[in-house]
Amino acid sequence: MAEQEGGTKFQVGNRVKILNSAFGTAEVVELRGPFGPQGAQVYRLRVRKKPRPAYIEVLEEQMELVPEG
Amino acid sequence: MPSASLVDWQTVRQGKLDAVDAHCAALFAVVPPPTLAEEALQGYVMLVSGHFQGFCRTLYTECAQVFAAALPAALKPTVQTQFSAGLMLNTGNPVVKNIREDFDRFGLSLDLVAADPANAGRITHLGHLNHWRNHSAHQKATPPPIGVPQVMVPADVRDWRASCDGIAGSLDGIM
Repeated sequence: MAEQEGGTKFQVGNRVKILNSAFGTAEVVELRGPFGPQGAQVYRLRVRKKPRPAYIEVLEEQMELVPEG
Repeated sequence: MPSASLVDWQTVRQGKLDAVDAHCAALFAVVPPPTLAEEALQGYVMLVSGHFQGFCRTLYTECAQVFAAALPAALKPTVQTQFSAGLMLNTGNPVVKNIREDFDRFGLSLDLVAADPANAGRITHLGHLNHWRNHSAHQKATPPPIGVPQVMVPADVRDWRASCDGIAGSLDGIM
């Protein structure tokens, strides 16, 4: 996946899969910046969950884009 | 070695606040200050509080990711979810209670005054900053309680900002 302006691979609104997790599709809701180990990009994601959504902050390397449609 | 969050606070965030400070200083240099000077100062106090909250939140994120990095891949999402759940700094003001409540998740008892005795006064300033932040954001008409400056002037905001800087250094040192 091409790197976008600002050095991030994902953008707000992207639907992603969190690798090595049982979570379903998550949505990128915030680009937190290069505050992971060795400057890795951190993203805040919203995961669909009942009764209310959960939020999780993960590194770029833990995410995989889910194609639209 | 300082955290990336502290470097961000000291460079990017302080740089933005310097620009707002200069804008307010120019407005208050006029005698009498124009009506918009008061509005600008209210914006300044909200930005100082907001950027300090941003620093605290980012430092928390940075620490949580370092912690998670030490875990096997299969455990990371579970721990990251727990670190992200119900954070006070995501929605609440950067008051000492909220900062403590979030950072205590790392299994420490956050004692800012033990880290630096000067933090006692800085914590008082942080309370004043957040009082005036709320006063401005909610456009309250009621006077501040005893002990809080009854009128906010640019020098107050600069003092509160300097105190945030001191607390930021201590928080970074502790973590």
